[in-house]
Amino acid sequence: MSRREGSLEDPQADSSVSLLPHLEAKIRQTHSLAHLLTTYAEQLLQEYVQHQGDPFGLPGFSPPRLPVAGLSAPAPSHSGLPVTERLRLDAAALAALPPLLDVVRRRQAELNPRAPRLLRHLEDAARQARALGAAVETVLAALGAAARGPRPEPPAADAATVAGVFPAKVLGLSVCGLYREWVSRTEGDLSQLVPGGPA
Amino acid sequence: AVISPQDPTLLIGSSLKATCSVLGDPPGATAEGLYWTLNGRRLAPELSRVLNASTLALALVNLNGSRQQSGDNLVCHARDGSILAGSCLYVGLPPEKPFNISCWSKNMKDLTCRWSPGAHGETFLHTNYSLKYKLRWYGQDNTCEEYHTVGPHSCHIPKDLALFTPYEIWVEATNRLGSARSDVLTLDILDVVTTDPPPDVHVSRVGGLEDQLSVRWVSPPALKDFLFQAKYQIRYRVEDSVDWKVVDDVSNQTSCRLAGLKPGTVYFVQVRCNPFGIYGSKKAGIWSEWSHPTAASTPRSERPGPGGGACEPRGGEPSSGPVRRELKQFLGWLKKHAYCSNLSFRLYDQWRAWMQKSHKTRNQVGRRDLR
Repeated sequence: MSRREGSLEDPQADSSVSLLPHLEAKIRQTHSLAHLLTTYAEQLLQEYVQHQGDPFGLPGFSPPRLPVAGLSAPAPSHSGLPVTERLRLDAAALAALPPLLDVVRRRQAELNPRAPRLLRHLEDAARQARALGAAVETVLAALGAAARGPRPEPPAADAATVAGVFPAKVLGLSVCGLYREWVSRTEGDLSQLVPGGPA
Repeated sequence: AVISPQDPTLLIGSSLKATCSVLGDPPGATAEGLYWTLNGRRLAPELSRVLNASTLALALVNLNGSRQQSGDNLVCHARDGSILAGSCLYVGLPPEKPFNISCWSKNMKDLTCRWSPGAHGETFLHTNYSLKYKLRWYGQDNTCEEYHTVGPHSCHIPKDLALFTPYEIWVEATNRLGSARSDVLTLDILDVVTTDPPPDVHVSRVGGLEDQLSVRWVSPPALKDFLFQAKYQIRYRVEDSVDWKVVDDVSNQTSCRLAGLKPGTVYFVQVRCNPFGIYGSKKAGIWSEWSHPTAASTPRSERPGPGGGACEPRGGEPSSGPVRRELKQFLGWLKKHAYCSNLSFRLYDQWRAWMQKSHKTRNQVGRRDLR
């Protein structure tokens, strides 16, 4: 692959390319944010299962994996993609998460009205996903690797509603799980770009 | 698979018949080997029976109240333990009639109300409480919006309240099993006014008087523009005691002298206010909270006492309780029946201070004489 001055097709292709200091700082910041949100996402998941009652949260609990409209878990092939392509997928997932988290929060407001912390944390998660997604897109733009063409609209809010309380609990678990997976995935993908980080 | 019924609501102690029907997914799936769990615990096999090739039935009796707000999780499992379907049970009681509504207005600007949810407490279901209010003679029902301001069953109405006219206030309780409404409380805002505690409470010694402390405070500033006569109460206790003594005949004044105290002792003092007779209301208002405790100590007695510690006053000295009480009664009688408006405890205390001073002077002269 030839090296082109002034733009980076794949920063990993030539590690001797020096990132501009502000870009480097932005990548570090975004990586730190992703690291922090990974911790929050794990806490949110734990808090969510506590409020649904057993068997949610019990060891070995394995509910049916309900499909979440417009979002799936990172594919096994994700880690084999170029880092910019991974980050594009991360940004797309982070953009799809906020409306799904909002649906979960609204349903939990009916099911667990006396759990204000859970409701607040679900609201925070939607905001945090939005912020991290925007930060990843900024990094991509700075790398000259922004998404080409218009981004597909995130799924409509009602795409994530289900009839029945138990399926709603399971769906909320899936959404919180996806939030954790994608934030963690984003942290891992950004670590490839952090100077001095893993190659 | 599908569980029926989905998300039923039931009374505590009632029974439930449910079914789990497999829908041929995966193909060939049957009811054989299916089992139930409730909140993660496997239910005894004798509670289930196979109705037909694709349906497993369940019969539960004498249900307990739901374990969590979001409903008890009844789950139908395949033989290998995988979850086929779920339904959430809501088992509880309808709400009881809320009662014991009490309301107060802070400085006539707002209204806060508190109530009790019901005599027997827990309904095991999420119960929504709504405080409603309306002007008695006209107007529409309004709903309070700021809940849990002073505890779980409370609400605060911050503004747009009328004075000199009665309000009707009540609480409606609703859950999945029904609703209940409290009795209506009727009140005029002016009759339930309270205020902040008196600010700037100062406690100080009264010269050398070893059994007295002077307490001064300021009238609550929020009420300065309103016509009212404040009543005050003072309470005080010895530093290492939990027993408060209350002085409650402190009328519309902002100072008081505590007497009959122990010499050389630290006292904690608090003051509270009742905006009595606000805007001509005939009713007493509501006592404020007590002010923050203020501490002061009485002078140590110079007379040696037993053990050399804090001294009790000598016998015959008129600072003991019963003597002082009788003197107070006498002065009160004098004021009513004789024109002695100048007589007061202040004069009496001044006399006592003069007596103590002359007593010390006489002692000193006496000791000098002995040398």
